[in-house]
Amino acid sequence: MQVGRRIRNVDWPERTVGSVPFTADVRLPGTLVARVLRSPLPHARIVSLDVTAAEAAPGVHAVITSEDFGEVKYVHHGGPLADRHPLARRVVRFLGEEIAAVAAESPAQAEAAVALIGLELRPLPAVTTIEEALERGAPEIHSGGNVSLHTERRYGDVAAGRRRATKSVQGRYRFGRQTHVCMETNSTLASWDEEEGVLHLWTSTQAPYFIRKEVAHALGLELDCVKAHEVAVGGGFGSKSKISDHEVLCAALSKKAGRPVRLVLDRAEDFATTKCRHDWDVRLETGADEEGRLTHRTARILVDNGAYNHSGPSVMGYGSLVMGSFYRTDGVDIDADLVYTNKHPGGQFRGYGGPQATFAIESQMDELADALGMDPIDLRILNANRAGDVTHAGWKLRSARLVECLEAAREAIGWDEKRRLGGSGRGVGIAAAIHVTGAHVYEGAEESHAGVDVRADGTVRVRFGGADAGTWQKTILAQIAAEELGIEAEDVDVLTTETDETPLDLGAWSSRGTFMGGHAVRAAAASAAGRLREAAAKKFGVDPSDVTLTGGQARGGADRLDLGDLVRLASENGELSVEESFTADMEPVNPATGVANLSPTYSFCAQAVEVEVDRDTGQVKLLDVAAAHDSGTIINPIAAESQVIGGVAMGLGAALGEELIYEEGRLVNPAYINYPLPRAADLPPIRVVFVEGKDPVGPYGAKSLGEIGLVPTQAAVANAVAHAVGVRVRKLPITPDKVLGGLRERDARPRRRYHLWRRPNRWEIALIRWLYPRGLHRLLHRWGTRFARKQEPRAIEEIRAPEEIEEATRLLEDGEAVPIAGGTDLLPARRQGLANPVTLVDLTTVKGMRSILETEYGDLRIGAGVTLADAARTPALDEVLRETIGRIASPQIREMATVGGNLCQQKRCWFYRNGFECYKRGGVTCPCYAVLGDHRFYHAVTKAHRCQAVTPSDLATTLTALDAEAVLARGGERRTLPMERFFTGPGETALRRGEVLVEVGVPAAARGRKGAFEKLRLWEGDFAVASVAASLDLGSGGEVRDARIVLGAVAPTPYRAREVEQGLVGRRLHAPTIAEAAEAWTGGAHPLPGNEWKVDATVGLIRRCLSRLGEGESTG
Amino acid sequence: MRARIEVNGEVRDLELAPSERLLDVLRDRLGLLGSKEGCGRGECGACTVLIDGRPVLSCITLAARVRGPVETVEGVADEAVPLREAFADHGAFQCGFCTPGQIVRGVSLLRGGLPAEEGSLRQLMSGNVCRCTGYAGIVRALRQAESGSR
Repeated sequence: MQVGRRIRNVDWPERTVGSVPFTADVRLPGTLVARVLRSPLPHARIVSLDVTAAEAAPGVHAVITSEDFGEVKYVHHGGPLADRHPLARRVVRFLGEEIAAVAAESPAQAEAAVALIGLELRPLPAVTTIEEALERGAPEIHSGGNVSLHTERRYGDVAAGRRRATKSVQGRYRFGRQTHVCMETNSTLASWDEEEGVLHLWTSTQAPYFIRKEVAHALGLELDCVKAHEVAVGGGFGSKSKISDHEVLCAALSKKAGRPVRLVLDRAEDFATTKCRHDWDVRLETGADEEGRLTHRTARILVDNGAYNHSGPSVMGYGSLVMGSFYRTDGVDIDADLVYTNKHPGGQFRGYGGPQATFAIESQMDELADALGMDPIDLRILNANRAGDVTHAGWKLRSARLVECLEAAREAIGWDEKRRLGGSGRGVGIAAAIHVTGAHVYEGAEESHAGVDVRADGTVRVRFGGADAGTWQKTILAQIAAEELGIEAEDVDVLTTETDETPLDLGAWSSRGTFMGGHAVRAAAASAAGRLREAAAKKFGVDPSDVTLTGGQARGGADRLDLGDLVRLASENGELSVEESFTADMEPVNPATGVANLSPTYSFCAQAVEVEVDRDTGQVKLLDVAAAHDSGTIINPIAAESQVIGGVAMGLGAALGEELIYEEGRLVNPAYINYPLPRAADLPPIRVVFVEGKDPVGPYGAKSLGEIGLVPTQAAVANAVAHAVGVRVRKLPITPDKVLGGLRERDARPRRRYHLWRRPNRWEIALIRWLYPRGLHRLLHRWGTRFARKQEPRAIEEIRAPEEIEEATRLLEDGEAVPIAGGTDLLPARRQGLANPVTLVDLTTVKGMRSILETEYGDLRIGAGVTLADAARTPALDEVLRETIGRIASPQIREMATVGGNLCQQKRCWFYRNGFECYKRGGVTCPCYAVLGDHRFYHAVTKAHRCQAVTPSDLATTLTALDAEAVLARGGERRTLPMERFFTGPGETALRRGEVLVEVGVPAAARGRKGAFEKLRLWEGDFAVASVAASLDLGSGGEVRDARIVLGAVAPTPYRAREVEQGLVGRRLHAPTIAEAAEAWTGGAHPLPGNEWKVDATVGLIRRCLSRLGEGESTG
Repeated sequence: MRARIEVNGEVRDLELAPSERLLDVLRDRLGLLGSKEGCGRGECGACTVLIDGRPVLSCITLAARVRGPVETVEGVADEAVPLREAFADHGAFQCGFCTPGQIVRGVSLLRGGLPAEEGSLRQLMSGNVCRCTGYAGIVRALRQAESGSR
């Protein structure tokens, strides 16, 4: 049996060493590099665009503008909803929209040429939220208003259901914008062959057909003249299932330049300009009768479309079908609007509207269960879809093991026992989902074609026109061909994508890969097998039905023949080549009724999640996940399990942290470091249970698996949090601020008072903050930023490697020179336009800066050039410092970054880092974007002045608590500053020009105290949202003789909470003392509206630090 | 500037621009395409290589400053056969783009011995983002490679 086998990925030897070529790895001689000019404004009219200087720039071979495309628009889903030109024409509608593109010999030349393009824009008023876009008189993004599509669905009989209902619940659920973050950014290599009139494409896609189609359409070529070639694809998750807005540009540049051109988006571009999951705002009502049978569901849905349609209409439509299908009800009414906003467009993303609909449905199911006094699983089982059902939306459920999934998840998570813990801080939640197996959302979606070649050596090649974006599709197809031909999957190789050699398949999307491709390959392989059996039967003199193919041989009676020998008998040219097709029973949606059997069959799952909610900080800790899936027959358990776990992980990301955040239409967090997708340490064990059973129409009984893994996850987490602490979060992601805010509300705790009227030194800041929303921000943003200082990018000309500190500091007297140690901040900062050194002075070559030693007096002297990892490995290092270092960044960064560099790093404010012309980047005429922007996590709650950023270094916090001193050198001079005075502002130090931090000293007295460090962060390796370092001198009776309590990430510099220290000295660490002292600093806070919760979280961290230190005392 | 870098045991004499990144030197000058660029800012781990046996990020390493011997995924491929097989056995990769970085990081951990605790191991692997697998297979593969059993 090849189907059902745990077989390794067919490419494993290559994929595990990176030798399978991705688009960026394909090397063609003479390849040019492309760069894109993007709109710096969210909405503007293009007044003029002049590319003459760019065209004449050195190394430039082609520049394209919208003139190169005329009035052509992307096809997308076709018809009148197509609304986007390959390059902006007359108007730009989102910040980052493509305006022109350049191909040049080198990246530097391409970038220089882009900078030479003369672009004049006249700003238009922008609407960047659903709410703004729907306001009366709102500026129109496209003519005809900001509602791109209104859909009404009336399924079943809601009125009758309402009459029957005895309970109903209402709520408003918001999903937020999640993005794919494929590890490989969108990438294309295009090569125009003038002689053949053919454009060759190597592109990271899940669906070569759609890319070819769009490229041919945009360039006015026949489809056959655009040929796709196989490359490895570094993740898709839907984002690469249709055009990703860069392929056509690359192709057009190649055609114009007559040379191969490569366009690889950088990570920030990929985050900020390609498509993402649509944000849905769902107002939902669900009703039930006395027994808990669902009566009706009504939904008012607003979908944030972004600036262009792409698959927005289809995604909104699909989510509506889920609303009309999931669980048995009397009726479902849906009113949905797809709303244009001046942001980069949403698009296809694993789940395709299903997660957004399901988050609302499944959160509300728990709320309904509460109202009914029922167990949430019992309620779901009572209303579960069953095999044989036809849903309101017309979905014919040929197999449905939803009930079995719910039971399996209940069992696996230990539901009955853990439900008793409700309200304790620990909780379990469940949610379920339904999903298609292929969807008829595109013409031709019901078909797939495949070829199978059996060679004279008995090996087999599968030819398939789709692509494997990492779903192990090639392996699955190899198994299926092997199954039919009686050989080992390892003897099958699979060719995908290649236009000339593979029959058409529309690609991997809508969870169709295994079902559609599997059926087509099975048909082709079965057909080849049939011909081989016939040939064998002739040779053996038996009936073909008596011939079996097994072990690479045909067997009939006592006769055996190797497959390869048979091939020679069955075909003349030494190769048996067969192509077959498959057509699925599925239909497109009737646009009038919203009814159709959209997919040949449907998958189900139920996921149970156990969480522990930290009531001090609001952080949700994941303890366990049990995912029970009905995907029919599992063809490859290794691949299937990995798919589900990966899906759940991505779903947990959306549940707890992932969210694109915007300010003034600009993406605030276009970086891994600002986007809390799960890292290894953020995830719990994820256990997968396959509730197997054959589907009547799936290949070997298999149904879909790729998408459904993340569909119910967010609701399961929300339900678990509600169970754990009684806080219902209806707006994703469930970040600590929302949980802590919910707890405060639940407990009806009074608001904190900050007594600003008694603090004249805060009046100016309070006034400025008051003025910000009243015109000051607008003034500074609109006009002030015009005077922003700019740092032109420059090449590094020289790296000096001095051996003596005197020489280093002399070199640094030159204003163009910048010190470099680990480089982990400087080099990214250079990319971010925050540093442009001409000369680097390497401090790691300087003698005497790379050691840690204990003096005879017991002081610790830490060389500034010691890496964090080396410091942590030094036995003499104090435990609290080791603990602190262990919480900094990633192991790789710790190997590179130095102690000095960690202390001297620039602020990490996400506005400052990510291109906002802010007060610190641009100067005094510019606003601080954190005042009105998203400042929930990384900004100050006290002491901030015009800039709200904080000093990001965790070491700074702990070293301050340890009374450490910084030793600074310039020439032969030394000066020593206490750590508190070393920091002068957010990520700003007292270092003068030519001065270097050479050493940090920790005095023996402080080292004798007991220390602890606590840190709240959104993901493993994140900078502190809040942190606390405590250092206590405890007497023999446990009384506090001396204390240092230092707070990190709450003020521009490490904040010594002297009020807390005073509240501790002379007292023992009993809980009431700790609680009272931990609050003592809060009267001096001055939070922004969105980060007041950090005051609570910091109080919680102080309590935790002190309790830890106190515990040791009571036990010791 | 002239520089001498040892890569996978071979000494290379190169003429380098001061701003050239090690990642580009490996990929474009030496044809070692296994190391991938996922972010270019030291945030994802796909470009992880070993210098002096330590895992570092080649996308934020200036080639001219490299002083110790460099090992890329190509250099550790043979040593990593058990780990690579374990990756295949446990579904520790799907698309494979982050995998070379995971393998290099994994090799550096295996050389020193894995921590017994699952949580610690996961922390030590947290500098390498994987968007496909949810990490479960990666952690299991490391354990399998260490114990040498399947």
